[in-house]
Amino acid sequence: MNKKLFMRGNEVIAEAAIQAGCRFYAGYPITPQNEIPEYMSWRMEEAGGVFIQAESELAAINMVYGASAAGARAMTSSSSPGISLMQETVSYLCGAELPAVIVNMQRGGPGLGNISGSQSDYFQAVKGGGHGDYKLLVYAPYNLQELWNLTMLAFDKADEYRNPVMILGDGVLGQMMEPFYQMPYIKPALPEKTWALSGCRDREPNVIKSLYMGEGELEFRNSILQEKFRKMKEQEVRFEAVGVEDAKLIVVAFGIAARIALSAVNRLRREGVKIGFFRPITLFPFPANELLSLAGSARRFVTIELNAGQMLEDVRLAVNGKSDVLFYGRTGGMIITPEEIYEDLQRLRVSNSGQ
Amino acid sequence: MATGLTLKELSKKEMLLTAGHRMCAGCGAPIVVKMVLLASEYPLIAANATGCLEVSTCISEYTAWKIPWIHNAFENAAATISGVETMYRSLKKQGKIDKEIKFIAFGGDGGTYDIGLQSLSGAMERGHDMLYVCYDNGAYMNTGIQRSSATPFGADTTTCPAGDVIQGKPQQRKDMTRIMAAHGIPYVAQASPSHWMDLMKKVRKALDIKGPKFMNIISPCNRGWRSRTDDAIMLSKLAVETCYWPLYEIENGVTKVTFKPKEKKPLKDFIKPQGRFKHLFSPENEGMLKTFQEMIDREWEALLKASGAE
Repeated sequence: MNKKLFMRGNEVIAEAAIQAGCRFYAGYPITPQNEIPEYMSWRMEEAGGVFIQAESELAAINMVYGASAAGARAMTSSSSPGISLMQETVSYLCGAELPAVIVNMQRGGPGLGNISGSQSDYFQAVKGGGHGDYKLLVYAPYNLQELWNLTMLAFDKADEYRNPVMILGDGVLGQMMEPFYQMPYIKPALPEKTWALSGCRDREPNVIKSLYMGEGELEFRNSILQEKFRKMKEQEVRFEAVGVEDAKLIVVAFGIAARIALSAVNRLRREGVKIGFFRPITLFPFPANELLSLAGSARRFVTIELNAGQMLEDVRLAVNGKSDVLFYGRTGGMIITPEEIYEDLQRLRVSNSGQ
Repeated sequence: MATGLTLKELSKKEMLLTAGHRMCAGCGAPIVVKMVLLASEYPLIAANATGCLEVSTCISEYTAWKIPWIHNAFENAAATISGVETMYRSLKKQGKIDKEIKFIAFGGDGGTYDIGLQSLSGAMERGHDMLYVCYDNGAYMNTGIQRSSATPFGADTTTCPAGDVIQGKPQQRKDMTRIMAAHGIPYVAQASPSHWMDLMKKVRKALDIKGPKFMNIISPCNRGWRSRTDDAIMLSKLAVETCYWPLYEIENGVTKVTFKPKEKKPLKDFIKPQGRFKHLFSPENEGMLKTFQEMIDREWEALLKASGAE
């Protein structure tokens, strides 16, 4: 029997990282994720790892770059404005094919915004927030159990693909407390980090870089990266679908919005409404094929997000005109209530069935 | 005609930071800001780095500032005011403005010593006509008391917690005032709200000097210092009297100590009332206390030497 614990979301991430073998954390204070560096500051000491409070997010992500190049399981965390500051090095990490786990507990934006939960960094996370053609593997947990599981998985996938992986949470998930099972970490078989800068006695020196100036060299590097992202699309898609088979209307939502939406969907289903629920767990790769297979003229989709409609674009691309895709969302760190969604969905249902 | 720096005269002046802001009871920062604003004889424009002062004085749709005020990201107060000041100079040159306006940037120690150091250094080197004021409370109080490079040796914070292994912050604080002086700018000063006359004189002097100026002002924070809410001024006074926070200025390279305590008090007088140093008073940390005192002594001796006093 796994240990059942009651913890705060941010601390769940920190503890999961440590149990998954993360021994290097660098971060910088920003609300609403301060519990991560605070927890790491004493817990890393116990675990025999390294905690560094950087002088800025720029420094924090670059420390991760250095630690990762040396072969460590390295992680940083921040919230929206801080993640924006890190983008240059996120691009470098991808260019240099360095694994890293980056946690973004999103808050309201743009600008300084506020410190409430939000999902307005979807584009930044899944479309590549920095320069160049790159992708992050992006996980969107919606409860604390998933925070635990996906944080652990993120380290494995980062090493497997030699690519940064992002945990895209939000202020609500970070601050909330609920029970979860402390599933033990089981390390999968992963290739040795033969590329790491771990000392080159008795071997050829390794080179880690993202600068390629030779004719066609950079294009070749890009083709390797693209191949990697294609493989992610093939193998890493995760989603959850509930009652989609006979649904006339399917709600698509991720992260905390999905959790809120699910309450409303369940209520409608109890009332006999044929409504489905589809939750992408990976935002990149996006479960596009799965959504397409559900699309058709007799079926509508509604995406619910805590932003002005970002994943909406990916849902529309996925269904490719075969279904109508509607949107309900709130911005500026406003949290949708299940009642609000219930009423909205009921209205949609009425217009769908009646006229 | 300049207002005299007397309580009677000053009490007639308009408060440029109004009541109703949301700073904590007993916070040093609004006291510092009020003194700085009150000292000015010129119209002011201020930039504010992200921090307690910024979030608590501009709660959406309200402002506590009676002067034009601009906020930008955490690391950018000095750069932002550089832009404003340069535009002002340009407009002045074009004859579109003739008023004499002064420019101030406010930042906490996080926004000044750490993430904002680059933009501050750049602004000082470019030579903008501005005064940068750091209200130094020695940690990231706004986000929950994490250490900064201004956090003193031995202090307990949420990211250098005192426990079985670590006894608070193991490093020495950064000497920001001297780093700024090393830019060779015309005026650098250290001040404390406990010595309000000294503080306001320095602000007045700074605003009358053309070019970049820097002031570092100690600002007690009862939340982070784990002290009583009514001890802010007492603690800032003890900081000065123990030479933890000497009052001095460096004008065109000449260092002058502006207040020399008659009798230098032991450092523990300043740190004892603060819960963040509580662990330093356990018998096994006696050595740390001694190290801390030696750090302060060394800095004070160096300052006296620089000022030519000894």
